[in-house]
Amino acid sequence: MSLFWKWTIAVFLVLLIGAFLMLCKMAGSPKDAYGMVRYALPHMHRGNLKVGDDAPDARLVALDGSDHFHIRERTGGRPLVIIFGSYT
Amino acid sequence: MVQLYDDYKDHADFLTVYVREAHPTDEWQMKSNVKDDVCYAQPKTLAQRVAIANDFIQRFHYPIAFGIDDLTNAANDAYAAWPERLYVIDESGRIAYRGGMGPFHYDPNEVRTWLASRYGTVKHDAPAPPIAPNPAAAPTSTPHAT
Repeated sequence: MSLFWKWTIAVFLVLLIGAFLMLCKMAGSPKDAYGMVRYALPHMHRGNLKVGDDAPDARLVALDGSDHFHIRERTGGRPLVIIFGSYT
Repeated sequence: MVQLYDDYKDHADFLTVYVREAHPTDEWQMKSNVKDDVCYAQPKTLAQRVAIANDFIQRFHYPIAFGIDDLTNAANDAYAAWPERLYVIDESGRIAYRGGMGPFHYDPNEVRTWLASRYGTVKHDAPAPPIAPNPAAAPTSTPHAT
């Protein structure tokens, strides 16, 4: 293996380890860093909506599990604060 | 959020939308979930999502209107909502406020500021000072009401 490739691989490994350590610090632990990369990042999207855009509609299921309603059914009368989230 | 809801429910409508779990047991579970006894696998069916949503409502006696994103994740995709995000839609159906992506940029105070700019600030009494353990340790000056 030539000296060039040895240096290339060494620099790549150093950068990889540095990125992993930074992620560990951000996430809290190596396990959390793995969880963030494996499960969170693929689902996190900045999105394209901007202030002033028409609010998109989507059909939601009611708590009884059978009734449905649309987000836009709840808009129009007063401002609507939407809180997106989950239990965990 | 419940405090914000209580403060402005006479002026604005509130809707909570339950989207896919952020820290289920079969994905990236947090230690805090175990400590708080909030341990659920990522729902694979709508019935499982509905069950978790109802557990949440019952545990916290959550008063805000609730809707559940179905397994197509249509609401989540439309609003780039996961894992948590806040929006305000104005009376004309346009986005008036778009919060940052949670958890790092999830800030209910920004919604409060938006609502306060329209409907005024809602002030709360300052928390009561801690009760002194014995009379000798009680402060000598009279606290001022704020």
